[in-house]
Amino acid sequence: MKVRFWGVRGSIPVPGRATNRYGGNTSCVEVRPRAADPIIIDAGTGIRHLGKALMEGTFGDGRGKASILISHTHWDHVQGLPFFSPLYRAGNQVHIFARQRDMHLEAVFSQQHDAAYFPVPLSAMHADMHFHELVEGARFHIGKAHVTCARLNHPWVAIAYRVDVDGASVVYCSDTAPFTDMLLGRDFIERPSFGTLPPPVQSELAAMRAGVVALAKNADLLIYDTQFTPEEYQARPHWGHSRPDDAIEIAREAKVKQLCLFHHAPMRSDDDNDKILAAARELVSADKFTLVSAYEGLEIPLGDQ
Amino acid sequence: MRIKFWGVRGSIPAPGPETNRYGGNTSCVSVHTAAGNLIIIDMGTGLMHLGNALLRTEFGKGAGRATILLSHTHWDHIQGLGFFPPVFIGGNQFTVWGPGSSPDVLEQILEGQMDPNFSPLQTLKNLSAKVDVRAALPAFEAEGVRITTREHAHGHTRALSFRVEEAGRSFVYASDVGYPESGPEPAAIAHYANADVLLHDSTYKPEDQATRRNRGFSSYEEACAAAIAAKAKRLVPFHYDQDYSDDAVDGIVAACTALLAPHGIAVTPAREGDELEI
Ligand SMILES: [Zn+2]
Ligand SMILES: [Zn+2]
Ligand SMILES: [Zn+2]
Repeated sequence: MKVRFWGVRGSIPVPGRATNRYGGNTSCVEVRPRAADPIIIDAGTGIRHLGKALMEGTFGDGRGKASILISHTHWDHVQGLPFFSPLYRAGNQVHIFARQRDMHLEAVFSQQHDAAYFPVPLSAMHADMHFHELVEGARFHIGKAHVTCARLNHPWVAIAYRVDVDGASVVYCSDTAPFTDMLLGRDFIERPSFGTLPPPVQSELAAMRAGVVALAKNADLLIYDTQFTPEEYQARPHWGHSRPDDAIEIAREAKVKQLCLFHHAPMRSDDDNDKILAAARELVSADKFTLVSAYEGLEIPLGDQ
Repeated sequence: MRIKFWGVRGSIPAPGPETNRYGGNTSCVSVHTAAGNLIIIDMGTGLMHLGNALLRTEFGKGAGRATILLSHTHWDHIQGLGFFPPVFIGGNQFTVWGPGSSPDVLEQILEGQMDPNFSPLQTLKNLSAKVDVRAALPAFEAEGVRITTREHAHGHTRALSFRVEEAGRSFVYASDVGYPESGPEPAAIAHYANADVLLHDSTYKPEDQATRRNRGFSSYEEACAAAIAAKAKRLVPFHYDQDYSDDAVDGIVAACTALLAPHGIAVTPAREGDELEI
Protein backbone atom coordinates (compact mmCIF):
# COMPACT_ATOMS: atom_id res chain seq x y z
CA MET A 1 0.00 0.00 0.00
CA LYS A 2 0.86 3.64 -0.26
CA VAL A 3 0.11 6.33 2.30
CA ARG A 4 -0.10 9.86 0.91
CA PHE A 5 -0.61 13.13 2.80
CA TRP A 6 -2.98 15.72 1.27
CA GLY A 7 -3.50 17.90 4.35
CA VAL A 8 -1.34 17.93 7.49
CA ARG A 9 -2.51 21.03 9.36
CA GLY A 10 -4.74 21.29 12.43
CA SER A 11 -7.52 23.73 13.34
CA ILE A 12 -7.71 25.97 10.27
CA PRO A 13 -6.11 26.15 6.81
CA VAL A 14 -3.15 28.51 6.63
CA PRO A 15 -2.25 29.74 3.15
CA GLY A 16 0.91 31.78 2.69
CA ARG A 17 4.62 31.67 1.95
CA ALA A 18 5.46 30.48 5.47
CA THR A 19 3.64 27.17 4.89
CA ASN A 20 4.66 26.37 1.31
CA ARG A 21 6.82 23.36 2.18
CA TYR A 22 4.69 21.54 4.76
CA GLY A 23 1.42 22.80 3.29
CA GLY A 24 -1.50 24.75 4.72
CA ASN A 25 -4.41 22.37 4.13
CA THR A 26 -6.17 20.63 7.01
CA SER A 27 -6.13 16.91 7.74
CA CYS A 28 -6.48 14.38 4.96
CA VAL A 29 -4.50 11.17 4.43
CA GLU A 30 -4.99 8.69 1.59
CA VAL A 31 -4.31 5.02 2.18
CA ARG A 32 -4.15 3.25 -1.15
CA PRO A 33 -4.02 -0.53 -0.95
CA ARG A 34 -2.36 -2.20 -3.95
CA ALA A 35 -4.80 -2.43 -6.88
CA ALA A 36 -7.77 -1.46 -4.72
CA ASP A 37 -10.07 1.48 -3.93
CA PRO A 38 -8.76 4.36 -1.83
CA ILE A 39 -9.35 4.54 1.90
CA ILE A 40 -9.29 8.20 2.91
CA ILE A 41 -8.76 9.28 6.50
CA ASP A 42 -10.36 12.62 7.34
CA ALA A 43 -11.83 15.19 5.01
CA GLY A 44 -10.07 18.46 5.86
CA THR A 45 -9.37 20.90 3.02
CA GLY A 46 -6.65 18.59 1.66
CA ILE A 47 -9.37 16.27 0.31
CA ARG A 48 -10.23 18.86 -2.37
CA HIS A 49 -6.94 18.12 -4.12
CA LEU A 50 -7.23 14.37 -3.62
CA GLY A 51 -10.69 14.61 -5.20
CA LYS A 52 -9.27 16.33 -8.27
CA ALA A 53 -6.61 13.62 -8.61
CA LEU A 54 -9.26 10.89 -8.29
CA MET A 55 -11.38 12.52 -11.01
CA GLU A 56 -8.52 11.79 -13.43
CA GLY A 57 -9.27 8.08 -12.94
CA THR A 58 -12.44 5.98 -12.62
CA PHE A 59 -14.18 8.62 -10.46
CA GLY A 60 -14.18 10.95 -13.46
CA ASP A 61 -16.67 8.74 -15.27
CA GLY A 62 -18.70 7.73 -12.24
CA ARG A 63 -17.20 4.31 -11.66
CA GLY A 64 -15.15 5.07 -8.56
CA LYS A 65 -15.54 3.73 -5.06
CA ALA A 66 -13.96 5.31 -1.97
CA SER A 67 -14.24 4.95 1.78
CA ILE A 68 -13.69 7.90 4.10
CA LEU A 69 -12.84 7.27 7.75
CA ILE A 70 -13.59 10.37 9.85
CA SER A 71 -11.72 10.76 13.16
CA HIS A 72 -14.30 13.29 14.38
CA THR A 73 -16.39 16.04 12.84
CA HIS A 74 -14.49 19.15 13.96
CA TRP A 75 -14.23 21.52 11.01
CA ASP A 76 -10.59 20.85 10.26
CA HIS A 77 -11.52 17.19 9.61
CA VAL A 78 -14.65 17.68 7.47
CA GLN A 79 -14.40 21.09 5.79
CA GLY A 80 -13.22 19.67 2.48
CA LEU A 81 -16.08 17.20 2.01
CA PRO A 82 -18.38 19.65 0.15
CA PHE A 83 -15.42 20.29 -2.20
CA PHE A 84 -14.67 16.61 -2.91
CA SER A 85 -15.43 16.44 -6.65
CA PRO A 86 -16.23 12.69 -6.82
CA LEU A 87 -19.37 13.41 -4.75
CA TYR A 88 -20.79 15.52 -7.57
CA ARG A 89 -20.59 12.69 -10.11
CA ALA A 90 -23.44 10.17 -10.33
CA GLY A 91 -22.32 6.57 -10.16
CA ASN A 92 -19.48 7.07 -7.71
CA GLN A 93 -19.88 5.27 -4.41
CA VAL A 94 -18.62 6.92 -1.25
CA HIS A 95 -18.81 5.24 2.14
CA ILE A 96 -18.36 7.54 5.13
CA PHE A 97 -17.43 6.02 8.48
CA ALA A 98 -17.47 8.03 11.71
CA ARG A 99 -18.17 7.61 15.36
CA GLN A 100 -21.79 7.49 16.42
CA ARG A 101 -23.16 10.90 17.49
CA ASP A 102 -26.33 11.97 19.28
CA MET A 103 -28.03 12.25 15.93
CA HIS A 104 -27.58 10.18 12.81
CA LEU A 105 -24.34 10.87 10.95
CA GLU A 106 -26.15 11.88 7.81
CA ALA A 107 -27.89 14.60 9.82
CA VAL A 108 -24.54 15.80 11.19
CA PHE A 109 -23.05 16.04 7.72
CA SER A 110 -26.24 17.64 6.36
CA GLN A 111 -25.77 20.49 8.82
CA GLN A 112 -22.51 21.36 7.09
CA HIS A 113 -24.55 21.72 3.88
CA ASP A 114 -27.35 23.75 5.46
CA ALA A 115 -28.40 26.55 3.10
CA ALA A 116 -27.14 29.12 5.60
CA TYR A 117 -23.57 27.81 5.21
CA PHE A 118 -23.15 26.18 1.82
CA PRO A 119 -24.99 26.55 -1.48
CA VAL A 120 -25.42 22.84 -2.30
CA PRO A 121 -27.48 20.59 0.02
CA LEU A 122 -26.06 17.16 0.88
CA SER A 123 -29.12 15.58 -0.71
CA ALA A 124 -28.16 17.15 -4.04
CA MET A 125 -24.79 15.41 -4.23
CA HIS A 126 -25.09 12.93 -7.09
CA ALA A 127 -22.79 10.19 -5.83
CA ASP A 128 -24.16 7.24 -3.96
CA MET A 129 -23.32 8.09 -0.31
CA HIS A 130 -23.52 5.67 2.58
CA PHE A 131 -23.00 6.54 6.23
CA HIS A 132 -21.64 3.98 8.67
CA GLU A 133 -21.75 4.66 12.40
CA LEU A 134 -18.94 3.27 14.51
CA VAL A 135 -18.19 2.80 18.18
CA GLU A 136 -14.74 2.30 19.69
CA GLY A 137 -13.49 -1.21 19.22
CA ALA A 138 -15.40 -1.74 15.96
CA ARG A 139 -13.59 -4.00 13.45
CA PHE A 140 -14.58 -4.31 9.83
CA HIS A 141 -13.28 -4.88 6.33
CA ILE A 142 -13.04 -2.47 3.43
CA GLY A 143 -12.24 -4.79 0.54
CA LYS A 144 -9.14 -6.71 1.55
CA ALA A 145 -8.18 -4.11 4.20
CA HIS A 146 -8.93 -4.73 7.86
CA VAL A 147 -9.88 -1.65 9.90
CA THR A 148 -9.94 -1.30 13.69
CA CYS A 149 -10.43 1.75 15.89
CA ALA A 150 -9.89 3.11 19.40
CA ARG A 151 -11.15 6.10 21.36
CA LEU A 152 -9.03 9.24 21.77
CA ASN A 153 -8.92 11.95 24.43
CA HIS A 154 -10.46 14.90 22.62
CA PRO A 155 -13.40 17.29 23.12
CA TRP A 156 -16.61 15.59 21.91
CA VAL A 157 -14.56 12.42 21.27
CA ALA A 158 -12.36 11.46 18.33
CA ILE A 159 -11.30 7.99 17.21
CA ALA A 160 -8.02 6.55 15.92
CA TYR A 161 -7.95 4.07 13.02
CA ARG A 162 -5.67 1.21 12.10
CA VAL A 163 -5.65 -0.17 8.57
CA ASP A 164 -3.97 -3.53 7.93
CA VAL A 165 -3.51 -4.47 4.29
CA ASP A 166 -0.86 -5.75 1.86
CA GLY A 167 1.17 -7.16 4.73
CA ALA A 168 1.61 -3.80 6.47
CA SER A 169 -0.23 -1.51 8.88
CA VAL A 170 -0.81 2.21 9.29
CA VAL A 171 -2.33 3.86 12.38
CA TYR A 172 -3.89 7.34 12.30
CA CYS A 173 -4.06 8.88 15.74
CA SER A 174 -5.39 12.48 15.55
CA ASP A 175 -6.71 14.42 17.50
CA THR A 176 -5.82 13.51 21.07
CA ALA A 177 -4.52 14.99 24.30
CA PRO A 178 -2.14 12.86 26.33
CA PHE A 179 -3.86 10.53 28.79
CA THR A 180 -2.53 12.08 31.98
CA ASP A 181 -4.02 15.41 32.99
CA MET A 182 -7.67 15.51 32.05
CA LEU A 183 -10.43 13.43 30.51
CA LEU A 184 -11.97 15.24 27.59
CA GLY A 185 -15.49 14.49 26.49
CA ARG A 186 -18.71 16.40 26.40
CA ASP A 187 -18.00 19.10 28.97
CA PHE A 188 -16.69 22.46 27.93
CA ILE A 189 -13.67 23.30 30.08
CA GLU A 190 -13.14 27.01 30.44
CA ARG A 191 -10.14 27.04 32.74
CA PRO A 192 -8.04 23.90 32.95
CA SER A 193 -6.37 22.82 36.17
CA PHE A 194 -3.64 20.25 36.72
CA GLY A 195 -4.91 18.69 39.96
CA THR A 196 -4.92 15.04 41.00
CA LEU A 197 -7.65 13.19 39.13
CA PRO A 198 -10.29 11.05 40.86
CA PRO A 199 -9.36 7.32 40.58
CA PRO A 200 -12.20 6.45 38.16
CA VAL A 201 -11.04 9.16 35.75
CA GLN A 202 -7.44 7.98 36.09
CA SER A 203 -8.43 4.45 35.23
CA GLU A 204 -10.56 5.56 32.29
CA LEU A 205 -7.60 7.50 30.89
CA ALA A 206 -5.26 4.57 31.52
CA ALA A 207 -7.64 2.26 29.65
CA MET A 208 -7.87 4.72 26.76
CA ARG A 209 -4.09 4.92 26.58
CA ALA A 210 -3.76 1.14 26.67
CA GLY A 211 -6.28 0.99 23.82
CA VAL A 212 -4.19 3.36 21.71
CA VAL A 213 -0.96 1.44 22.43
CA ALA A 214 -2.70 -1.83 21.52
CA LEU A 215 -4.07 -0.30 18.32
CA ALA A 216 -0.58 0.88 17.33
CA LYS A 217 1.16 -2.38 18.32
CA ASN A 218 4.00 -3.13 15.86
CA ALA A 219 2.51 -0.77 13.26
CA ASP A 220 4.67 0.03 10.26
CA LEU A 221 3.58 3.66 10.44
CA LEU A 222 2.04 5.64 13.30
CA ILE A 223 0.65 9.09 12.34
CA TYR A 224 0.20 11.12 15.54
CA ASP A 225 -1.23 14.50 16.55
CA THR A 226 1.72 16.65 17.68
CA GLN A 227 0.10 20.07 17.43
CA PHE A 228 1.59 21.39 20.66
CA THR A 229 4.96 22.36 22.04
CA PRO A 230 5.33 21.54 25.77
CA GLU A 231 4.65 25.21 26.67
CA GLU A 232 1.52 25.36 24.55
CA TYR A 233 0.27 22.15 26.13
CA GLN A 234 0.71 23.59 29.64
CA ALA A 235 -1.45 26.55 28.65
CA ARG A 236 -4.12 24.52 26.80
CA PRO A 237 -4.31 20.92 28.03
CA HIS A 238 -8.08 21.00 27.44
CA TRP A 239 -7.80 21.59 23.69
CA GLY A 240 -7.15 17.91 23.09
CA HIS A 241 -3.75 17.84 21.38
CA SER A 242 -0.38 16.22 22.12
CA ARG A 243 3.32 17.06 22.02
CA PRO A 244 6.03 15.17 20.10
CA ASP A 245 7.12 13.63 23.44
CA ASP A 246 3.70 12.03 23.87
CA ALA A 247 3.82 10.57 20.37
CA ILE A 248 7.32 9.21 20.99
CA GLU A 249 6.26 7.49 24.21
CA ILE A 250 3.36 5.75 22.49
CA ALA A 251 5.60 4.82 19.52
CA ARG A 252 8.14 3.23 21.88
CA GLU A 253 5.61 1.26 23.85
CA ALA A 254 3.81 0.07 20.75
CA LYS A 255 7.14 -0.76 19.06
CA VAL A 256 6.17 0.90 15.78
CA LYS A 257 8.63 1.05 12.88
CA GLN A 258 8.01 4.63 11.86
CA LEU A 259 6.46 7.65 13.59
CA CYS A 260 5.02 10.61 11.68
CA LEU A 261 4.38 14.00 13.33
CA PHE A 262 1.03 15.33 12.13
CA HIS A 263 -1.70 17.99 12.63
CA HIS A 264 0.75 20.88 12.76
CA ALA A 265 -0.42 24.03 14.55
CA PRO A 266 -1.72 26.70 12.17
CA MET A 267 0.78 29.35 13.30
CA ARG A 268 3.75 27.02 12.78
CA SER A 269 5.99 28.16 9.89
CA ASP A 270 7.96 25.67 7.80
CA ASP A 271 11.09 26.65 9.70
CA ASP A 272 9.34 26.03 13.03
CA ASN A 273 8.29 22.59 11.82
CA ASP A 274 11.88 21.83 10.72
CA LYS A 275 13.09 22.68 14.22
CA ILE A 276 10.42 20.57 15.91
CA LEU A 277 11.35 17.63 13.68
CA ALA A 278 15.08 18.04 14.39
CA ALA A 279 14.48 18.22 18.15
CA ALA A 280 12.23 15.16 18.08
CA ARG A 281 14.84 13.23 16.07
CA GLU A 282 17.40 13.97 18.79
CA LEU A 283 15.05 12.39 21.31
CA VAL A 284 14.77 9.16 19.32
CA SER A 285 18.38 8.85 18.18
CA ALA A 286 18.76 5.68 20.27
CA ASP A 287 15.38 4.25 19.29
CA LYS A 288 14.74 1.66 16.63
CA PHE A 289 12.03 3.56 14.77
CA THR A 290 12.44 6.32 12.20
CA LEU A 291 10.75 9.67 12.58
CA VAL A 292 9.31 11.93 9.90
CA SER A 293 7.09 15.00 9.86
CA ALA A 294 4.08 15.02 7.55
CA TYR A 295 3.99 17.43 4.63
CA GLU A 296 1.59 17.75 1.71
CA GLY A 297 2.67 15.37 -1.03
CA LEU A 298 4.66 13.05 1.27
CA GLU A 299 4.13 9.47 0.10
CA ILE A 300 5.18 6.51 2.21
CA PRO A 301 5.13 3.04 0.63
CA LEU A 302 4.43 0.19 3.07
CA GLY A 303 4.35 -3.62 2.65
CA ASP A 304 3.52 -5.12 -0.75
CA GLN A 305 3.62 -2.60 -3.55
CA MET B 1 -10.59 55.69 5.21
CA ARG B 2 -7.85 53.06 5.06
CA ILE B 3 -8.81 49.71 3.57
CA LYS B 4 -6.73 46.58 4.16
CA PHE B 5 -7.18 43.14 2.61
CA TRP B 6 -6.81 40.13 4.92
CA GLY B 7 -8.54 37.50 2.80
CA VAL B 8 -9.49 37.81 -0.88
CA ARG B 9 -10.37 34.25 -1.91
CA GLY B 10 -13.79 32.70 -2.45
CA SER B 11 -15.43 29.49 -1.22
CA ILE B 12 -12.54 27.74 0.56
CA PRO B 13 -9.01 28.70 1.62
CA ALA B 14 -6.48 27.80 -1.05
CA PRO B 15 -3.00 27.26 0.43
CA GLY B 16 -0.01 26.55 -1.79
CA PRO B 17 2.82 28.30 -3.64
CA GLU B 18 0.49 29.04 -6.57
CA THR B 19 -1.55 31.47 -4.41
CA ASN B 20 1.33 33.16 -2.56
CA ARG B 21 1.08 36.52 -4.29
CA TYR B 22 -2.66 37.25 -4.03
CA GLY B 23 -3.19 35.08 -0.96
CA GLY B 24 -5.31 32.03 -0.18
CA ASN B 25 -7.37 33.20 2.81
CA THR B 26 -11.11 33.70 2.48
CA SER B 27 -12.95 37.03 2.61
CA CYS B 28 -12.02 39.64 5.19
CA VAL B 29 -11.41 43.37 4.75
CA SER B 30 -10.74 45.99 7.40
CA VAL B 31 -11.70 49.65 7.15
CA HIS B 32 -10.09 52.14 9.51
CA THR B 33 -12.04 55.37 9.53
CA ALA B 34 -10.33 58.75 9.54
CA ALA B 35 -11.42 59.04 13.17
CA GLY B 36 -9.51 55.83 13.95
CA ASN B 37 -12.50 53.49 14.35
CA LEU B 38 -12.54 49.96 12.98
CA ILE B 39 -15.05 48.32 10.65
CA ILE B 40 -14.45 44.72 9.62
CA ILE B 41 -16.23 43.33 6.58
CA ASP B 42 -16.74 39.54 6.52
CA MET B 43 -15.12 36.94 8.74
CA GLY B 44 -13.38 34.48 6.43
CA THR B 45 -10.05 32.94 7.45
CA GLY B 46 -8.32 36.28 6.85
CA LEU B 47 -9.96 37.42 10.10
CA MET B 48 -7.52 35.30 12.11
CA HIS B 49 -4.59 37.29 10.73
CA LEU B 50 -6.34 40.63 11.27
CA GLY B 51 -7.00 39.48 14.85
CA ASN B 52 -3.33 38.68 15.44
CA ALA B 53 -2.42 42.18 14.26
CA LEU B 54 -5.10 43.74 16.50
CA LEU B 55 -3.59 42.13 19.60
CA ARG B 56 -0.94 44.86 19.50
CA THR B 57 -3.65 47.51 19.91
CA GLU B 58 -6.31 48.13 22.57
CA PHE B 59 -7.86 44.79 21.55
CA GLY B 60 -4.93 43.08 23.24
CA LYS B 61 -5.92 44.73 26.51
CA GLY B 62 -9.64 44.01 26.26
CA ALA B 63 -10.50 47.59 25.43
CA GLY B 64 -11.19 47.26 21.71
CA ARG B 65 -14.40 47.98 19.86
CA ALA B 66 -15.31 47.25 16.26
CA THR B 67 -18.27 46.96 13.94
CA ILE B 68 -18.44 43.83 11.81
CA LEU B 69 -20.46 43.89 8.57
CA LEU B 70 -21.40 40.41 7.41
CA SER B 71 -22.43 39.93 3.77
CA HIS B 72 -23.90 36.45 4.38
CA THR B 73 -23.16 33.31 6.38
CA HIS B 74 -21.58 30.95 3.85
CA TRP B 75 -18.51 29.29 5.42
CA ASP B 76 -15.98 31.40 3.57
CA HIS B 77 -17.44 34.49 5.25
CA ILE B 78 -17.68 33.25 8.85
CA GLN B 79 -14.97 30.62 9.35
CA GLY B 80 -12.55 33.06 11.00
CA LEU B 81 -14.78 33.96 13.94
CA GLY B 82 -13.68 31.07 16.14
CA PHE B 83 -10.02 31.89 15.37
CA PHE B 84 -10.18 35.64 15.94
CA PRO B 85 -8.01 36.17 19.03
CA PRO B 86 -9.76 39.39 20.21
CA VAL B 87 -13.04 37.50 20.81
CA PHE B 88 -11.29 35.49 23.53
CA ILE B 89 -10.38 38.59 25.51
CA GLY B 90 -13.06 39.86 27.87
CA GLY B 91 -13.85 43.54 27.53
CA ASN B 92 -13.61 43.70 23.75
CA GLN B 93 -16.89 44.60 22.07
CA PHE B 94 -18.14 43.66 18.64
CA THR B 95 -21.37 44.54 16.91
CA VAL B 96 -22.13 42.24 13.98
CA TRP B 97 -24.57 43.60 11.38
CA GLY B 98 -25.64 40.84 9.03
CA PRO B 99 -28.43 39.41 6.90
CA GLY B 100 -31.49 37.72 8.29
CA SER B 101 -35.06 38.46 9.11
CA SER B 102 -34.13 39.01 12.77
CA PRO B 103 -31.05 39.16 14.98
CA ASP B 104 -32.12 35.83 16.54
CA VAL B 105 -32.06 34.04 13.19
CA LEU B 106 -28.59 35.34 12.44
CA GLU B 107 -27.33 34.52 15.92
CA GLN B 108 -28.67 30.95 15.57
CA ILE B 109 -26.74 30.52 12.33
CA LEU B 110 -23.52 31.79 13.92
CA GLU B 111 -24.26 29.54 16.89
CA GLY B 112 -24.52 26.55 14.53
CA GLN B 113 -20.92 27.13 13.47
CA MET B 114 -19.87 26.54 17.08
CA ASP B 115 -22.01 23.39 17.46
CA PRO B 116 -20.00 20.89 19.52
CA ASN B 117 -20.02 18.41 16.65
CA PHE B 118 -18.00 20.92 14.65
CA SER B 119 -16.15 23.19 17.07
CA PRO B 120 -14.52 22.74 20.46
CA LEU B 121 -15.96 26.14 21.44
CA GLN B 122 -19.42 24.48 21.61
CA THR B 123 -21.33 27.76 21.76
CA LEU B 124 -20.95 31.48 21.07
CA LYS B 125 -21.50 31.99 24.79
CA ASN B 126 -17.98 30.71 25.36
CA LEU B 127 -16.47 33.72 23.62
CA SER B 128 -15.23 36.13 26.29
CA ALA B 129 -15.75 39.32 24.31
CA LYS B 130 -19.18 40.86 23.96
CA VAL B 131 -20.62 39.99 20.54
CA ASP B 132 -23.85 41.79 19.78
CA VAL B 133 -25.67 40.44 16.71
CA ARG B 134 -28.07 42.65 14.75
CA ALA B 135 -30.01 42.47 11.51
CA ALA B 136 -28.54 45.04 9.13
CA LEU B 137 -30.78 48.01 8.36
CA PRO B 138 -31.03 49.63 4.91
CA ALA B 139 -29.11 52.58 6.34
CA PHE B 140 -27.44 53.15 9.70
CA GLU B 141 -24.56 54.87 11.48
CA ALA B 142 -21.70 52.90 12.98
CA GLU B 143 -18.23 53.96 14.08
CA GLY B 144 -19.16 57.51 13.17
CA VAL B 145 -19.71 56.74 9.48
CA ARG B 146 -22.77 56.19 7.36
CA ILE B 147 -23.45 52.69 6.06
CA THR B 148 -26.06 51.73 3.49
CA THR B 149 -26.97 48.16 2.74
CA ARG B 150 -28.36 46.46 -0.33
CA GLU B 151 -29.68 42.94 -0.41
CA HIS B 152 -28.79 41.10 -3.61
CA ALA B 153 -29.22 37.66 -5.12
CA HIS B 154 -26.44 35.14 -4.52
CA GLY B 155 -27.39 31.83 -6.13
CA HIS B 156 -30.31 30.36 -4.22
CA THR B 157 -29.76 32.71 -1.30
CA ARG B 158 -29.34 36.44 -0.64
CA ALA B 159 -26.35 38.44 0.49
CA LEU B 160 -25.67 42.04 1.44
CA SER B 161 -23.46 44.63 -0.16
CA PHE B 162 -22.33 47.59 1.91
CA ARG B 163 -21.54 51.19 1.12
CA VAL B 164 -19.42 53.01 3.69
CA GLU B 165 -19.26 56.80 3.51
CA GLU B 166 -17.07 59.19 5.43
CA ALA B 167 -16.40 62.87 4.74
CA GLY B 168 -17.60 62.69 1.14
CA ARG B 169 -15.56 59.54 0.35
CA SER B 170 -17.18 56.21 -0.38
CA PHE B 171 -16.20 52.56 -0.33
CA VAL B 172 -18.50 49.83 -1.62
CA TYR B 173 -18.09 46.15 -0.74
CA ALA B 174 -20.07 43.95 -3.14
CA SER B 175 -18.98 40.32 -2.88
CA ASP B 176 -20.82 37.12 -3.80
CA VAL B 177 -23.10 38.91 -6.24
CA GLY B 178 -25.16 36.92 -8.74
CA TYR B 179 -26.63 39.18 -11.43
CA PRO B 180 -29.32 38.21 -13.90
CA GLU B 181 -28.06 37.32 -17.40
CA SER B 182 -28.88 40.90 -18.42
CA GLY B 183 -26.18 42.18 -16.05
CA PRO B 184 -26.17 44.49 -13.01
CA GLU B 185 -29.64 45.83 -12.15
CA PRO B 186 -30.34 49.58 -11.75
CA ALA B 187 -30.68 49.18 -7.96
CA ALA B 188 -27.17 47.72 -7.81
CA ILE B 189 -25.75 50.53 -9.92
CA ALA B 190 -27.47 53.09 -7.69
CA HIS B 191 -25.85 51.52 -4.63
CA TYR B 192 -22.40 51.68 -6.23
CA ALA B 193 -22.86 55.10 -7.85
CA ASN B 194 -19.72 57.26 -8.03
CA ALA B 195 -17.92 55.14 -5.44
CA ASP B 196 -14.31 56.13 -4.87
CA VAL B 197 -13.58 52.43 -4.52
CA LEU B 198 -15.87 49.64 -5.70
CA LEU B 199 -14.70 46.30 -4.35
CA HIS B 200 -16.55 43.77 -6.46
CA ASP B 201 -16.95 40.02 -6.72
CA SER B 202 -14.76 38.84 -9.63
CA THR B 203 -14.88 35.14 -8.88
CA TYR B 204 -14.84 33.92 -12.46
CA LYS B 205 -13.48 34.38 -15.91
CA PRO B 206 -16.53 34.63 -18.21
CA GLU B 207 -15.86 31.19 -19.74
CA ASP B 208 -15.88 29.53 -16.31
CA GLN B 209 -18.94 31.43 -15.17
CA ALA B 210 -20.88 30.25 -18.21
CA THR B 211 -21.15 26.72 -16.78
CA ARG B 212 -21.73 27.85 -13.18
CA ARG B 213 -24.08 30.81 -13.35
CA ASN B 214 -26.43 29.20 -10.82
CA ARG B 215 -23.76 29.54 -8.13
CA GLY B 216 -24.40 33.26 -7.84
CA PHE B 217 -20.98 34.79 -8.43
CA SER B 218 -19.88 37.52 -10.83
CA SER B 219 -17.42 37.33 -13.66
CA TYR B 220 -14.80 40.06 -13.92
CA GLU B 221 -16.70 41.32 -16.98
CA GLU B 222 -19.78 41.90 -14.85
CA ALA B 223 -17.62 43.63 -12.22
CA CYS B 224 -16.27 45.95 -14.94
CA ALA B 225 -19.76 46.56 -16.36
CA ALA B 226 -20.91 47.53 -12.86
CA ALA B 227 -17.96 49.87 -12.37
CA ILE B 228 -18.57 51.58 -15.72
CA ALA B 229 -22.33 51.96 -15.24
CA ALA B 230 -21.85 53.25 -11.67
CA LYS B 231 -19.04 55.62 -12.74
CA ALA B 232 -16.85 54.26 -9.97
CA LYS B 233 -13.37 55.76 -9.73
CA ARG B 234 -11.57 52.51 -8.90
CA LEU B 235 -12.43 48.83 -9.15
CA VAL B 236 -11.02 46.27 -6.73
CA PRO B 237 -11.55 42.74 -8.11
CA PHE B 238 -12.16 40.33 -5.19
CA HIS B 239 -13.23 36.78 -4.14
CA TYR B 240 -11.14 34.89 -6.69
CA ASP B 241 -12.08 31.28 -7.39
CA GLN B 242 -10.15 28.82 -5.21
CA ASP B 243 -8.79 27.05 -8.29
CA TYR B 244 -7.23 30.17 -9.84
CA SER B 245 -3.47 30.45 -9.49
CA ASP B 246 -1.74 33.81 -9.14
CA ASP B 247 -1.07 33.74 -12.88
CA ALA B 248 -4.77 33.27 -13.57
CA VAL B 249 -5.59 36.21 -11.29
CA ASP B 250 -2.96 38.29 -13.12
CA GLY B 251 -4.99 37.55 -16.24
CA ILE B 252 -8.19 38.80 -14.59
CA VAL B 253 -6.48 41.99 -13.47
CA ALA B 254 -5.03 42.64 -16.91
CA ALA B 255 -8.41 42.06 -18.53
CA CYS B 256 -10.12 44.45 -16.08
CA THR B 257 -7.47 47.07 -16.70
CA ALA B 258 -7.98 46.81 -20.46
CA LEU B 259 -11.76 47.07 -20.12
CA LEU B 260 -11.71 50.02 -17.71
CA ALA B 261 -8.79 52.15 -18.94
CA PRO B 262 -10.90 53.75 -21.74
CA HIS B 263 -13.35 54.87 -19.03
CA GLY B 264 -10.67 56.34 -16.79
CA ILE B 265 -11.38 53.79 -14.05
CA ALA B 266 -8.36 52.52 -12.14
CA VAL B 267 -7.92 48.88 -11.13
CA THR B 268 -6.31 47.76 -7.87
CA PRO B 269 -6.58 44.02 -7.32
CA ALA B 270 -7.37 42.79 -3.82
CA ARG B 271 -4.20 41.18 -2.52
CA GLU B 272 -3.65 39.91 1.02
CA GLY B 273 -1.72 42.45 3.07
CA ASP B 274 -2.22 45.36 0.66
CA GLU B 275 -3.68 48.65 1.82
CA LEU B 276 -5.63 51.31 0.00
CA GLU B 277 -6.14 54.86 1.23
CA ILE B 278 -9.28 56.68 0.18
ZN1 LIG C 1 -8.06 18.68 14.37
ZN1 LIG D 1 -10.55 18.30 16.88
ZN1 LIG E 1 -18.03 33.71 -0.71
